[in-house]
Amino acid sequence: MDKILIIDDDEELCELVSEYLTVEGFDISCVNDGASGLESALSGDYDMVILDVMLPKMNGFDVLRNLREQSKLPVIMLTARGDDMERIVGLEIGADDYLPKPFNPRELAARLRAILRRTAVEDGDPEASEKLDIDGIQISPASRIATCDGRELNLTSVEFELLLELLKEAGKIVKKEDLSENVLERKLSPYDRSLDMHISNLRKKLGERVDGTERIKTIRSVGYIYTLV
Amino acid sequence: MKLFLKIFLWFLAAVSLMVFVLMFVTRTFQTEPMVNRFERSTRNQLTIYGGTASQIVKAEGEDGLKTFLTRLKDLEPPRQVSLVSNDGKVFFGDPVDAPEVGELTTRTMASGQVETDFNSEERTVGASPVNFPDGRRMVLVFQWERQAPPSLFWGSNTALIRLGGILLVAVVLCYLLAMYLTSPIRKLRGVTNELADGNLETRVSPRLGRRRDEIGDLARDFDVMAGRIEGLIKSQQRLNRDISHELRSPLARLNVALEIAKQKSNPDTMPIFQRIEGESDRLNEMISRLLTLSKLETGADDVDRVRLDFAELVRDVAADADFEAQAKGKHVEVSSADSCPVIGSENLLRSAVENVLRNAVRYTPERTVVDVSLTKENGHAILKISDHGGGVPEDELPNLFRPFYRVGEARERKTGGTGLGLAIAERAVKAHKGTITARNYNGGLQVEIGINTAKKGDA
Repeated sequence: MDKILIIDDDEELCELVSEYLTVEGFDISCVNDGASGLESALSGDYDMVILDVMLPKMNGFDVLRNLREQSKLPVIMLTARGDDMERIVGLEIGADDYLPKPFNPRELAARLRAILRRTAVEDGDPEASEKLDIDGIQISPASRIATCDGRELNLTSVEFELLLELLKEAGKIVKKEDLSENVLERKLSPYDRSLDMHISNLRKKLGERVDGTERIKTIRSVGYIYTLV
Repeated sequence: MKLFLKIFLWFLAAVSLMVFVLMFVTRTFQTEPMVNRFERSTRNQLTIYGGTASQIVKAEGEDGLKTFLTRLKDLEPPRQVSLVSNDGKVFFGDPVDAPEVGELTTRTMASGQVETDFNSEERTVGASPVNFPDGRRMVLVFQWERQAPPSLFWGSNTALIRLGGILLVAVVLCYLLAMYLTSPIRKLRGVTNELADGNLETRVSPRLGRRRDEIGDLARDFDVMAGRIEGLIKSQQRLNRDISHELRSPLARLNVALEIAKQKSNPDTMPIFQRIEGESDRLNEMISRLLTLSKLETGADDVDRVRLDFAELVRDVAADADFEAQAKGKHVEVSSADSCPVIGSENLLRSAVENVLRNAVRYTPERTVVDVSLTKENGHAILKISDHGGGVPEDELPNLFRPFYRVGEARERKTGGTGLGLAIAERAVKAHKGTITARNYNGGLQVEIGINTAKKGDA
């Protein structure tokens, strides 16, 4: 059973989510403040963390920042709805996904499963896909290591998957719909900008080519393309 | 006209007028006695000259008289001296031509007394009788060049310097006075602008020093007002944060509890749970929109402005809206989209366009099209979004952008929506110093958004 850590100061909410997710087949533990949340997350006992932004003692961003220094444990952030800054900051620091609060627990369960499935594929089946070496980028789905011109890229699991998908189809347009379904494992909904956000983070981490051209181009309202020279 | 210039010019005019009136009055009152004195002394002089001439002609004869008259002629100021006999002939000296001189001579001849004429423009004339020992009577006529009283300001250098000095002092004084009156007002205005721009901590008093007059009072009152506004806005911002947290926490719990209840429910209760879920979503949507709105109203301080192509943004949002509209059998079509570079917050602009567009999609009937057109006209990006939803009564148009405003019977609650979309759009557009208007057009409502396009070189 997958062990999930919830870091949220709302005890009642924690109880309810635990109850719901337990029925859905997860093993849930709750912690109510940031400092002990970070400690538990670093203990290595958990497969995944659900992290609220507003926390006593240490806020969610600081917890995530500290966690990312040592661990690639998948993290879903709970942000205040409508607060774009929180969302952007969260994804930039390295959250794998975010969910605006109040959230639909079905959605939460679906996203947990999506992220866990991804990590499971990577851990369990090294033969699932072979290494790719394109345009100075080496990406190894088995070891989950991606390097660009010899420099190791510190990618979140969503960014890693996005890069992999784009490189598999390098030189061809990858539709937003497909990316959303294959990587985020949900249907693309109108007005949802999270894919754009992940791509923009990925672009920043990859950097431009030596000659100044963008590696990933946006094809407006269709999708993205990894350009080949 | 600027207040400074007004005060300056008015005071300068007043001071100048006062100076000139004063001069005029003084001059009038001072010249009168001077003229009288001059006339009296002229008469006395003439009487003496006449008497002396009579005595000399008696003692020394006509030659002595001529010597005396020649001596008189050489005196200052220059004059003409003539001795006229009773038949009008000039016995000695300069010719007598002017008619008024002739008349004066006749008068003296008749009266045997000194006569004067000060009225002539060109000269002052005086006549005095001279009695000869043989009984003849002649008239001694003096003609002086008319001596104008010295001008106060014109004519000489000293007078000009005097005039310049007075004007200079007046200008300097008026300038200082106008500065004294307007500079605190200018400072007050600067602070008002700062406050309006969202700098709530700004105050006037430190810049004005300790003034005890009405302007000082105004400044203090302004500071009190600014303090209250700051308090109100801060508490509203605090309230917004609290609402966001406190209202959403129970809502989050409600959502989870509802889902648990659904896990345990039977098919009979399912519809009602779904209903609860729908209402909860709606409540949530309203809270977030209310928050967006109040954030926009309390000054968009966290707006990060970038250069972006408005056309691209509009096409993006239109594509999303079309996707959504197709599910309801409606369409969104972009009929034109000129490239319009603008400086602004992508999020705010997106939410403005999205809110207007979703509103249009909501009210346009099935199988109709919402038309989107973006054109560039004299430095403005003009976005027009038109639906076919029948429009709204003319007198309700301006109210459309008010929060929670609903138009009479035509657009009822059942059509969904929170009543905040257009209000948010308006605030977002205003935050970009743009305009947003609504009008009835072609059997529907047309909302027009105008935003200044960026010039080359803008950041």
